[in-house]
Amino acid sequence: MTEVRFYGHRPPGFEEDTLPGRLIVIEGTDGVGRSTQVALLKEWLEDRAYAVLDTGLVRSELAGPGIKRAKQGHTLDPITLNLFYATDFWDRLERQIVPALRAGMVALVDRYIFSLIARATVRGVSREWMEHLYGFALIPDRTIYLDIDVEHLLPRVLERGFDYWESGLDFLREQDVYRSFEKYQAELLAEFLRLAEDHHFEVVDARGSIADVFEVLRAKVDGAVKGMEVDQLAAHRPADTTVEQARETEAPSA
Amino acid sequence: MNPFERDDLPGRLFIVEGIDGSGKSTQLDLLHKWLVGEGYLVVFSEWNSSPIVKGTTKRGKKRKLLSPMSFSLIHAADFASRIHDRILPALQAGAIVLADRYVYTAFARDAVRGVDPNWLRRVYSFAPTPTISFYFDVPLDEAIRRIMEGRPSLKFYEAGLDMGLADDPEDSFRRYQGLIREEYDRLVGEFGLVRMDATENLIRQQQRMRQLVEPHLNGVMRIEGQSLSDALVKARLRGRYVSGRQDVTQVSGAGRLA
Repeated sequence: MTEVRFYGHRPPGFEEDTLPGRLIVIEGTDGVGRSTQVALLKEWLEDRAYAVLDTGLVRSELAGPGIKRAKQGHTLDPITLNLFYATDFWDRLERQIVPALRAGMVALVDRYIFSLIARATVRGVSREWMEHLYGFALIPDRTIYLDIDVEHLLPRVLERGFDYWESGLDFLREQDVYRSFEKYQAELLAEFLRLAEDHHFEVVDARGSIADVFEVLRAKVDGAVKGMEVDQLAAHRPADTTVEQARETEAPSA
Repeated sequence: MNPFERDDLPGRLFIVEGIDGSGKSTQLDLLHKWLVGEGYLVVFSEWNSSPIVKGTTKRGKKRKLLSPMSFSLIHAADFASRIHDRILPALQAGAIVLADRYVYTAFARDAVRGVDPNWLRRVYSFAPTPTISFYFDVPLDEAIRRIMEGRPSLKFYEAGLDMGLADDPEDSFRRYQGLIREEYDRLVGEFGLVRMDATENLIRQQQRMRQLVEPHLNGVMRIEGQSLSDALVKARLRGRYVSGRQDVTQVSGAGRLA
């Protein structure tokens, strides 16, 4: 059961005190391997007969397209951008995440409010204002933070190239992308760690291999979904399958 | 500029509030023309008009995606964008800003939809405090009569149909506006809004507005020699090919009201 509790106040539209699903949040900076791990977790949960919703930032029907359009112009001030993100977040919470929790699903959320708070804070938006703004957010059953340092993050980001926003180029006045990225990510990671402490994240060392990180994550998620009702007939896979084994058994039928 | 940590702004901010049909926009328009006629530089901004955000609001309304909270958040985003791009720079420069609806519209409308009042006040804490906030107080029946006169049909959110107060749009609109009016009544005391009798003669209302505004105009930014109408009179031209300056051309004569 997910206990219906909020960081600040109960927003309009919520009557129940508990929901049968589970809300599991994966947080971490860009490039840390979040989306890969979320994809693996989803597959693993589905193999064990859990119904899974996966969602992430800027995927709302309401505000997703508007934010993408606005960011192309690089003209958004931080307050407007964050209210825009908050609209997107609320729309997904209300129309994707909560209905899934009501239906008894596992909602696997790739970045919740914390990425938004961390990014805004390093851009000079008041931390108190940001945390207050997201007072309407449902407190997750688990918030798992993929912890990394700049040194280990760099090779992963280099592979696919630096992104304008993820390098802080919109507000830092560094001479080059590399220095900007280094400085921005260092500040961002420090902010994440502060949030991790304040909000009791489960911190997972994300410096290791994909398989190693997955193993730790899987154990944490397993703890979170324990006791949920699943369709026993569909639960054909043993709980301790490794990623490789899961891949192999998957291959012929896929 | 960080809007949370600004010093005193040299500009002046006058805003109007009131339910639909209170006549607030008409009065602000008259004030605008008078100020321009007096040679002041005036920046105008109205609710729900940010070029960056309003497309999303429109999308939400059209597809009926907006719940009380997303309605509130998207309007806050629109407001923030206008504060940043238009209102704050003008106030920093020492100009006059006129706003048709301000934070009190959100406080009233969103509270009616069940949004937490404390949360709203802190979310909007980046908004500069107006020099004067005018609240146009009109009896509900009179407002409804004015609105229904020239309007074929009410829109979904405009009539408050999202709140499930009534099935009939007109009935819903009446109840919705009635609830908002009650909220405004509370806000007048909380924020010291200046209550205007919106049933009074238009000219008398405008005179009162100008009397209240005038003492605040010392040292405000002016634009000299930029009146197009003066230039046209002087040059004996009609300005056939001059476009995009409606504000200035309409001004001739409006300034004589008071």
